[in-house]
Order: sequence, then structure tokens, then C-alpha cells
Amino acid sequence: MNWKPEADEIAKRRELARAQGGPEGVARQHEKGRLTIRERIGALIDDGSFDEIGEGAGSAERSENGELLEFSPANFVLGFAKIHGRRVIVGGEDFTLKGGSPSPAGLRKSVYTEDLAVQHRVPLIRLHEGAGGSVGGSGGGPSLPGPVFAPSRFRSVAEAMATLPVATAAMGAVAGLPAARLVSSHFSVMSESTAQVLVAGPAVVERAMGETLTKDELGGAGVHTRNGTIDNGAEDEPEALSQIRAFLSYMPQNVWELAPVGPCDDPVDRQEEALIEIVPRERRRAYDMRRILALVVDEGSFFEIGKGHGRSQITGLARLNGQPVGVWANDCRQLAGSMTADGAQKAQRFIELCETFHLPIVTFVDEPGFMIGSKAEQAATIRHGARTVLTASLTRVPWASVMVRKSFGVAQAAHYGPEPYVLAWPSAESGPLPVEGGVAVAFRREIEAAPDPEARRRELEEQLAARQSPFPRAEALSVHELIDPRETRPRLCRWIERVQPLLEPLKGRTGFPVRP
Amino acid sequence: MAETIELESGGTVWKILVREGDTVEEGQELFIMEVMKMEVPYTAPIAGQVTGLHIREGDVVEEGLAAAEIG
Repeated sequence: MNWKPEADEIAKRRELARAQGGPEGVARQHEKGRLTIRERIGALIDDGSFDEIGEGAGSAERSENGELLEFSPANFVLGFAKIHGRRVIVGGEDFTLKGGSPSPAGLRKSVYTEDLAVQHRVPLIRLHEGAGGSVGGSGGGPSLPGPVFAPSRFRSVAEAMATLPVATAAMGAVAGLPAARLVSSHFSVMSESTAQVLVAGPAVVERAMGETLTKDELGGAGVHTRNGTIDNGAEDEPEALSQIRAFLSYMPQNVWELAPVGPCDDPVDRQEEALIEIVPRERRRAYDMRRILALVVDEGSFFEIGKGHGRSQITGLARLNGQPVGVWANDCRQLAGSMTADGAQKAQRFIELCETFHLPIVTFVDEPGFMIGSKAEQAATIRHGARTVLTASLTRVPWASVMVRKSFGVAQAAHYGPEPYVLAWPSAESGPLPVEGGVAVAFRREIEAAPDPEARRRELEEQLAARQSPFPRAEALSVHELIDPRETRPRLCRWIERVQPLLEPLKGRTGFPVRP
Repeated sequence: MAETIELESGGTVWKILVREGDTVEEGQELFIMEVMKMEVPYTAPIAGQVTGLHIREGDVVEEGLAAAEIG
């Protein structure tokens, strides 16, 4: 007598687990234009690298003589895998079973995801589609509530965010607990064609609030990529997965390591002619900051995060001579690039991300100051802005700041960090406040008394703007160097080389890890 | 293929540099918005004809407005 019957049952259970919600459940998922969780994992990871955990978890029904009648797998799939040859943990709800709502074994696997990642110190990827608990209970039978001594379920979620990169995707409707875990990440993306993120779905909202809305109106990408709940939108599921792969390529495995420096075939001394003319001499004329970023960093390496939210600020990851860096710039096409309440929150979270994973920060500064006006006051701009300024001042990562144009007020301080390497372009202007605002206040009487007040105001503005030349700043060593804009890349590449020894001692936990 | 030019942010329409029916080059400036005292130019994403123009100088407009079409 050997153990073949049991081995056969193990094989059968595995086969049933891989069948997920059965052919009908899988077909329903496909009809809605969505992939199954196993297909998602397959598309995300390096081919053949999935090493599943808890494949046998689920609920089984047996006959009186102990024969397996039915096996329903846990509706959360979890395992180790590799991305770019580096180990990760990946997991996600199986919507073909119980609509992704947690089954007892599914919930255990889902909660274990963070523990496993924290224990092994590897990046964590969660691919979400599903809802939270149900008033009917999960798993059918009555169960005991958790004991008072049970560890907090969210402790490991926070611990993961403090110690390793967490990237998440919303692939279908995500609500309740999965939604909270979706946003508990360093990078989140949602499939615009298939996903919604909801605290509560349309039926609950209609019952409580009397609002009749579709899932998309309530929590589609149009809502959540604009309010910063989700960092990036993606056209569909495959694009969402490819964004996650891209994000992880800039990240170390955990806070005890440094980000991987890749090979770079873009010459470090490349000088782009276009940089000399991108910023118009007309001070009020806007330009395309993203074009500047693309011309300076390693070719094709800029990966923008949070484009739809806090849009006066641009944040993203890039490489300089292969070294991953955080890039933060102002977009003067959006509210003159001023620091709004949501822009400040976006920047603060981004600075925390860079500090947590020891990524040097490069800023391209065109900051006119905090956003003004009644809406800005109502949005608590000064508090969010001050928080960003203080966050920057407490960082330990190296900063390089390129003064592209404006650098004014308290808000500009956030763009420099504690000990920055500062390069100024000839177009740089700086001071307590932009000339336009300052002239209106300081010369109010003179302007009012002039025969043509508007002309006098413009005249004064031009005179004072001419005094803001960056040459005196260079003479006073208020900037490290006043440079020809074309030299920006070579200068930054030399800087990134000499700050390498400063990165090694940063390994480990940071004083203020990033939170959602 | 036609392209619609949507406003990235609200503001005032400062200058309109083309008329409906004009033929434009890719990258040619179509109109300039004034947003927070900055002049924000909008350029043609493709070469073609201005088949629609839905703004006038001095209009105070909202973000997301379909300002022009190039066909």
C-alpha cells in the first residue's frame, strides 16, 4: 500500500484550483472583457516563474466514506514570482469565485500576502478585483469574531509600505477592504476600461444618499486618477500590468538595498540644442516642461506618476546614467505651476517615496509660489504646502535642483531639500514673490496715479524683472553654477556619480515612511 | 483622422490665431489661453484644416472644453 490515492487527490485538487470558478465563471469574466487572476499573474511576471503558495487552500466536501465530492479553491491566488529576474510576491482576488468577496481561505491568503512579502523582503504586487465582506457573512457558516489578542490586520499592510515597494492595480470593480489595500501602495494603476474603485457601490449609495449613479460615475478612472486616489490610469489590463513592471524597474527590492543601476547607452555628455530655446524669453509665455525632462534624463527613462492629479506639479521616476532618480518639476501650463493643495500632497507623497527607497531627487523648478484665491484658501493650501516644505527639509537623500524659471516664496523651498546641488539656467528668477504680485502691492499708489495705470504697471514689472537676473546669485555662490541649459545633462550625470557614496549609508528604514 | 483640442485647464481665451477653415501645420499655434497670468499656447497636434473653433477671445472657459477640431 502506498500513498498514491492521496497523491491523486492532491493532483485533482490542484487541477480544480487552476480551474478557478469553472468554465462558466471564466467565460463570464472574459465576456466582460476582463482577464482571470491567473491570466493577470501570467501576463505580469517572467514566463514560468510563478511559485504558488497555498494552492490547496479552499473548502472541500466529502462523502461519508471520505471521498472528495467537491473542492472550491480559495478565491485569492498568491505566490512568489520573478519580474525582470527579481523575486516578488504577487496576489489577487479571483473574481470568478464568489465575485472576489472573501471566502475564509481566500481571506487568509489575502492577509498573508503582506506578511509573506515583509518576511522575505521582496516587492509586493496586488491585482485587485472584488469587494469586502457581506452582511450574510463570508463562508456561509457562523464563525467566531477574532480574539482581542489577534494582531491588527493593517499592521502588516503598513509594515509592507515602510519596508518594500508595493504596487497595486484595480482591474475590475474594487470595493471595501480590497479598495483600502489597493490604495495602500507606492504605486497604483487602474484599467480605465474595466475598473472602478468604490468605498461602497451604487446600490448602497442610493440607499443611503439618494444618489443614483453608475459604477463609473461613482468611482471610475475619471474620478480617481483626478483626485489622487489612484496614481495612473491605463487603457486596459495589459497596459496596467506593464506600468507595474516599469515602476518596479526603478525600485530596490526593499529598504535595506539600493535601487538597481542599469546599463546606460545614452551618453552622459549629451547636450541637446533644443534646451537653449525651450524656455521663451517672454516671461509670461508657457512652455513644455515634460520636453525638458525627456531631453535631460536617460533617453526614454521618464516614467510619470500621478499625471492626472495635482497637475501643476509633475512627478515621476527616471534614470541618470542608469541610476534611478525621482524627478519633480513644475508645469507652468497648469495654474502657472503654482503649488496647489493637491499638488503639494502629490509632491509630499512623492518625496516620501524617494526617501523611503533612497532615490536621489532631481527637481526642475518653475515655482511661482502657493496657489492663491478663495478656492485655494478653502482647500487649505498653506497647510498642505508647508507640510511638503517640511517633508523636503527632513529628507536624507541627495537633491539636485535646476532653477529653470521662477523660484518664489515659501513654496520654492520645497524644491531644494536640505543640501541641494543647485544649477540655475539664465532664465531663472527668484525672490520673495513674483514681480507681478509684488508690483501690484508695492507700487499701488503710483500705478493708480499714472495717466495709463495698466501701461505703468507693465513698465514697472519689466524694470523689476530685469533686476532679477541670476548672475548676482552666481557671483554670491547662492547657486553652485549658472549654466548653459544644454549642459544640464552632463552636470547632473557628474553629480549622480559623485553622490553614489552618500547612498550606501541610507540603507534601512526611513524616519517617515510613505503612507497612502 | 480628426483631432479635438481640449483645454488642459480653465482660464481666459487671450488670442485666437487661426480661423475656421484655415490650413495649419503640425505644431502651429492655434490660440493662447491666459491662465494665472501665464500665456499658454495650444498648438495643432496634426497638420490639417481647422474644422471647428468653439472659443472667442475674452471667453472665460472651463477645463476640458473642446476648443477646436483639426480634420
